[in-house]
Amino acid sequence: MIERHLMKLRARDEVSEEEEAAIRGAVAEEREVRGDTKIIRAEEVLDISTLLLDGIACRYKDLRNGERQITELHVAGDFLDLHSFTLKRLDHEVMALTPCRLAIVPHERLRKISEDLPHLTRMYWFGTNLDAAIHREWELSLGRRIALAKTAHLFCELYVRLGLVDLADELSYRLDLTQTDLAECLGLTPVHVNRMLKELREQGLVTFRGNRVEIHDWEGLQRAAEFNPSYLYLERRAR
Amino acid sequence: MMPHFFFHVRNSEGFLEDEEGEELADLDAARAVAVTAVRSIISDESKGGLIDLRGRIEVSDESGRPVLALPFSEAVSVRTGPPASDEAEPGVPQ
Repeated sequence: MIERHLMKLRARDEVSEEEEAAIRGAVAEEREVRGDTKIIRAEEVLDISTLLLDGIACRYKDLRNGERQITELHVAGDFLDLHSFTLKRLDHEVMALTPCRLAIVPHERLRKISEDLPHLTRMYWFGTNLDAAIHREWELSLGRRIALAKTAHLFCELYVRLGLVDLADELSYRLDLTQTDLAECLGLTPVHVNRMLKELREQGLVTFRGNRVEIHDWEGLQRAAEFNPSYLYLERRAR
Repeated sequence: MMPHFFFHVRNSEGFLEDEEGEELADLDAARAVAVTAVRSIISDESKGGLIDLRGRIEVSDESGRPVLALPFSEAVSVRTGPPASDEAEPGVPQ
């Protein structure tokens, strides 16, 4: 199942056999968690990073009144907290939104990689930079895009990210999220999300129903979202 | 077990069914969710220059029974009339 992580890396650069062996060897154990389970608690001292093998997870922060902002969604192949390797604790929580399969990577083994394999280390640095780029794009959505555009944008982003790890079909993908999950990503209420889904459907752009996203008009959806995949750094080149 | 409420929207564009709903403590909590939802919709629509308060949210329980109807107009206070003067309106906190 580490294959999806390798796919994600290989979409952006070459991974040598030695590097692949190091990645496989870095996994100490695999774990499964149910949906709606906290995976990493904020402020906990960490000596491991967690890699998502399967499922959908998120980074989020809550306000005291219970309002939740999901700051990034994670798909299979993503490290949930590679940044904890240097931060050693997180200022945010990480939770599984669907049943998830996780690979546990001790910081000690990441340290070994950082000492022995400079190119792989740069690729992992790229990985945290990519998370930062996604956060910036979400800031633009949360701060400036209208509700319809930010909803459309999330569907565009997930189509590309899931496609990279072979989890999207031609213009459709499975998405086991609720409208409440989407609302927490988009800074909207679930009722408002429902309304935006209806509008996207009626405009013939995309349908989200029964845990499946069907894109009817990819060009039109990207236009409605002002989606430009440049921030996902999809070019394959030496890093 | 908390009760499950569904929040349907009825307005000039027709009826939008909520198939998912939310688990909430009681009807008061459901009302608060409906108020927040209306305000969220109005604030987004107002960016396009239109404030249409003719819709309503219809809340139903698990069995589909209507338990609450919230007209959009009840989720906000609207002030219109002559332009505001420099003096604060009576009763409005500074």
